[in-house]
Amino acid sequence: MSDIFPKWTNQLPMMAGIAAAVLGATALAGITYYVTPKYTRVGYQPKQPVAFSHAIHVDQLNLDCRYCHNGVEKSWFSNIPSSSTCMNCHSQVRKDSEKLALVRESYASGKPISWVQIHKVPDYVYFNHSVHVNRGISCVHCHGEINKMDEVYHAKPLSMSFCLDCHREPEKFVRPNELVTKLDWKNEGFDGKKAVHDWKIQPGQSCSTCHR
Amino acid sequence: MKTIPPPCPEPEVGPKYWRSLDQLAEKPEFRQWMEREFPSGASIAPEGETRRDWIKLMSASFMLAGVGGFAAGCRRPEEHLTPFAKQPEGYLHGKAQHFATAMPSRGSAIPLVAKSHDGRPVKLEGNPLLPNSNGGTDAFAQASLLNVYDPDRAYRHTKGGADVKVENLRDALAQVATKFAANGGEGLVFLSERSGSPTRARIQEEISKKYPKSKWFAYEPVDFAIGQQALSTLVGADVQPVYHLENARRILSLDCDFLGVEGDSYRLIRGFAKGRKPAKDTMSRLYAVESLLTVTGGSADHRLRVRPTDVVRVAAQVGVAVLELLDQSGELATALKTLAKDPVANPQWVAACAKDLLANKGASVVLAGYGQPLVVHLIAQVINSVLQSVGPVVSIVKANESRNDGSIAECVAQLQSGADTLVILGGNPAYDAPADLDFTGAVKRAKTVVRWGYYEDETSQLATWNIAAAHYLESWGDARTADGTIVPVQPLIEPLFGGLTDIEVLARIAGLEKPLPLDLVRATHGVDESKWRKFLHDGFLEDSAPKPMEASSIQVGRAVATIAGFKAPVAADFDVVLYRDASVDDGRFNNNGWQQEVPDPVTKVTWENVILVSLATARELGIADAANAKDGQYKQPILKVTLGGRTVEGPAWVQPGLADKTVGLALGYGRRVTGRVGRGSGFDSYPLYLKDTRHLATGAKVVKVPGRRLVAVTQEHGLMEGRPVIREADLAQFEAKPDFAKNMDLDAHLPHYVPYKKEADGRNVGPRPQNIYEHPFDQNPETASKIHQWGMVIDLSTCVGCTACVVACQSENNIPIVGKDQVARGREMHWMRIDRYYSHDPKSDLGSDIAAEDPQMAVQPMLCQHCESAPCESVCPVNATVHDEEGLNVMAYNRCIGTRYCANNCPYKVRRFNFFDYNKRETDYAGAQSQHFFNFGNLYKGPLGVNRNDAPEWEVVKLVKNPDVSVRMRGVMEKCTFCVQRIEQAKIARKVEVGNSGDVAVKDGTLKTACQQACPAEAITFGNLLDPASAVSKLKTDPRDYTVLGFLDNRPRVTYLARIRNPNPEIQEAKIEGRNGPDSMRDYERHRHENPFKTESHGNSHGEKKSASISTQKGAV
Repeated sequence: MSDIFPKWTNQLPMMAGIAAAVLGATALAGITYYVTPKYTRVGYQPKQPVAFSHAIHVDQLNLDCRYCHNGVEKSWFSNIPSSSTCMNCHSQVRKDSEKLALVRESYASGKPISWVQIHKVPDYVYFNHSVHVNRGISCVHCHGEINKMDEVYHAKPLSMSFCLDCHREPEKFVRPNELVTKLDWKNEGFDGKKAVHDWKIQPGQSCSTCHR
Repeated sequence: MKTIPPPCPEPEVGPKYWRSLDQLAEKPEFRQWMEREFPSGASIAPEGETRRDWIKLMSASFMLAGVGGFAAGCRRPEEHLTPFAKQPEGYLHGKAQHFATAMPSRGSAIPLVAKSHDGRPVKLEGNPLLPNSNGGTDAFAQASLLNVYDPDRAYRHTKGGADVKVENLRDALAQVATKFAANGGEGLVFLSERSGSPTRARIQEEISKKYPKSKWFAYEPVDFAIGQQALSTLVGADVQPVYHLENARRILSLDCDFLGVEGDSYRLIRGFAKGRKPAKDTMSRLYAVESLLTVTGGSADHRLRVRPTDVVRVAAQVGVAVLELLDQSGELATALKTLAKDPVANPQWVAACAKDLLANKGASVVLAGYGQPLVVHLIAQVINSVLQSVGPVVSIVKANESRNDGSIAECVAQLQSGADTLVILGGNPAYDAPADLDFTGAVKRAKTVVRWGYYEDETSQLATWNIAAAHYLESWGDARTADGTIVPVQPLIEPLFGGLTDIEVLARIAGLEKPLPLDLVRATHGVDESKWRKFLHDGFLEDSAPKPMEASSIQVGRAVATIAGFKAPVAADFDVVLYRDASVDDGRFNNNGWQQEVPDPVTKVTWENVILVSLATARELGIADAANAKDGQYKQPILKVTLGGRTVEGPAWVQPGLADKTVGLALGYGRRVTGRVGRGSGFDSYPLYLKDTRHLATGAKVVKVPGRRLVAVTQEHGLMEGRPVIREADLAQFEAKPDFAKNMDLDAHLPHYVPYKKEADGRNVGPRPQNIYEHPFDQNPETASKIHQWGMVIDLSTCVGCTACVVACQSENNIPIVGKDQVARGREMHWMRIDRYYSHDPKSDLGSDIAAEDPQMAVQPMLCQHCESAPCESVCPVNATVHDEEGLNVMAYNRCIGTRYCANNCPYKVRRFNFFDYNKRETDYAGAQSQHFFNFGNLYKGPLGVNRNDAPEWEVVKLVKNPDVSVRMRGVMEKCTFCVQRIEQAKIARKVEVGNSGDVAVKDGTLKTACQQACPAEAITFGNLLDPASAVSKLKTDPRDYTVLGFLDNRPRVTYLARIRNPNPEIQEAKIEGRNGPDSMRDYERHRHENPFKTESHGNSHGEKKSASISTQKGAV
């Protein structure tokens, strides 16, 4: 009886197995990197209806974050300022500027400006700004160096592992409350471990901390 | 949210893309766009690589973007944030605002604090600021929130069926004003609900002045004003009784369900609960004389089961006994003796009761129910007066509302003689007017009918003008609470559909100058700005409660004529009791899904009413066979009840504890014109509601008719069968052995565990059985939080079973409504349930049958016990349910894949599974498909069925959801979370408050779970077990504290305080009721051969010598 299959087919199952394994590993690696927030979200910089520059307002003019995002200390939500907040200054400063036409129109007509949301966690995650801001976590840790941004982009992945990095080691990120909005502050000698101990910082690591 | 990918200059996929790669690279927009998307990489081309190579690199990610919609180009859909153009002051998105308001109800009101998110109310709580209030509410108040977002509510004003703009409506009302101004109100007739609103009373006065010939009538099918009427007769002025049950040591209820459906039950429950702390001299005692088994009878220490028409005889018996003990004779005594000449109740029982009431003079009270005739109320108040309880326990205050309004019978007579304009304010008289009055026919004789109503219902069909009413949460107004304190009604939201308030309608008819509600209320309460603001802020007007009158204002002689002239009906055939339903009230909550689905506190029936019959009656009628339930679904036989030529038919339900030859029918179902929720639910009992007999009639005939009907009930079994789930004792037994509750089941093998108890008394240490479910804190002690550990204690002595907590939990946690069909399959979604058990002693001295017909009842709220060694946590294949650092058993919904192993493993069966997408798919509400093997209900159709989210009604319905809690989808397990959203908010608030400080522990009392806050009896206590001063820590060391199914060593964080009954030793010794201790304990003893008051508990006596039986002992051991 002649051989049905030529000899080289003896290697086929093993080759197929190795190929599948290699393909699988590549796919897995690809997904692990590309389909995670670190790749999909970092760098997101949508075009906003008004060309607001944080670099000018924060870095140059030294406005505190909380002047506009005034709800961040009390609410879970850090609010985009209303047009009336912009008009506090811009009713006099550059009051005829082309770039601010939409703001003036909004203030006059009552029609809100439709800002594009950049930082958003999934709906099943309940993140609270006020507790972070009031317990020594600065805006820069999650939002990056906003004070240097002309157009805001998504600087950090904001994935669950990103949150856990801090929740597991808060001493690396904590600072006194007064310095929370000083985005350029560098830790020179502030004892994070002591702060975590004295202020009883025990950020939850169990599911109920964020998922309810 | 529609997916709008970020604008790309060229399409991402397709041959066109590949061909134009090079061309793309040239286009300036492409460059610009790319640079924007990737600021760091865009401007840097890698060294040594050509532009072409680089584009190819980028193209890979574009391709991914086109193919999968993920990675670089097309990420998460673009969403927008739209702040206000002008920020309203004090508003912060995400921070709830709280406003004080009140829910007006029949001449009284419940003070509330409403929580508002983004300008809409999402949760109602009681207002704890009022003097004499704990902030409790009742189930109706909790559910009334859903009514605001009811898509079936009246959304338009109509005239003759056609839509009318509100300006035209206002003009029409102004025309009415001018018309009747001319002729002094001739032909103007008002028929309204009862109202205690001072503003409405003021406008009513104005109308009576301006239109002296106009007529006012008030009608409520369930009218609590009868108590007012009785007291007013005795005092000779318009007064109402206010009960202070916290001062009552002895309470006798004459068919008064004051813990259930009587008016203002929320404050009566509170007063009653205060007296239930078990201590020999201060614990109260409740005697209940009733026909139906109500929650009051369940909480009673002694219950007398009589036919409803016999209650008056029992009342007279008690009155005679009390007067005899006081050696008082006279007209009153004679009149009472005549009434009591055919005694119904055991004279020994009556004598003991009267003696007890008298022994506690000044702290005893007799209450009469709304369904009983006036004479019973008179007797009750007379006895109160004689017992010198008027003042401390019952106070006489000026009535909330004027009672000059005529009755509905007079209204019909007026209409028959011709009326020009009939104005109907609220209510639904076309549905619930006494059946023998022919209200509908009379209304047709009026030329114009103006109807102000919340729904387009039966009455709207008779009206010319239909004015859509605003909900009280959308209205400015005011009201008076039970004791007369004035409370504001503040709107939380503008009327969703442009509805008007009743005071505005009246003001416009009166032709007042400033008819807007805010102006009207402001005008009533003066213009002092700071006082007004305080009124709105606190939610009540200080010192506005009228001062109580002197006890001597009562002259019992005034009652003699009525008592003497009363002919007690001779019970014939069947008695019919038409009672206010605990779910739908008199019909006003018929379209409220939460109320329809919450089980009746006693029968546990949902979505309809049933005809209640007693066990003996069921045997007589031939319907007592056990084959009613098949596969857990109750297919009940149908009964036909005939009274005075009118019949109703409905499914029968055997109710232990109901009086024989009596049928109980709940009002409020079987509506002809109602929304999608109420359609098809139950049968209409109002045909038997007649103008003279009202709630009680006799002489009815009841027969079985062929057919069966599916009844959806949440609790099938009613017996504990020797399993000590609820542990109770008589007061004397408790005092002899206070920790008896820790001595049942296998407790001797397993000492009672109290988490974080500081004292080492050997109870929490020592060998424990090897538990197969790991205790996370044993394994990893460093994860346990040292700041908070949460626990809860539920006091079964004070819980009456009113189910306010169930509805509050549903409101707070976005729990869906599933519909009758799913409830019949056991899939109701309530995270918390009230288990109701009947207990009787099968070897009772009175005989087994009688004992089963007249059982005791006990209730127990059951919710997730948050076991430390949780059976559910270990079996989840995806670790969706875990233990958090503070002792909670938490659910991560996004992780759950729907294995349901956790629910399988839960010994308490408190986990609820979303079998369908109850939020997205329309349920069938009251429709029951389960009769058919192949079920084609809408839920089963899935995407092929009706999708609620597509319907415009969804825009309204979704507003009721609490934004702090996830809305769960199909396939996900859910359960009580100890209101983790409230816990987190409290912790966050505390941390925000202290900032850079370590004082982060939440203060006891600032955090309340939804059920705890809603409970009028304060039966639920929740708090931090690490704080030894917290209320819950103290209760955990109470001797009554025990764990349900403690032998499983799950170590639940929820424990219960055993229920203590306080029977009258005289009645026990006389062996009238044939019991010598709670029936459930005797049942336990018979099953387990163990007496928890004597021997160490091993579950049973291992077959050894029989311990001394409980039944042969007197109270003390």
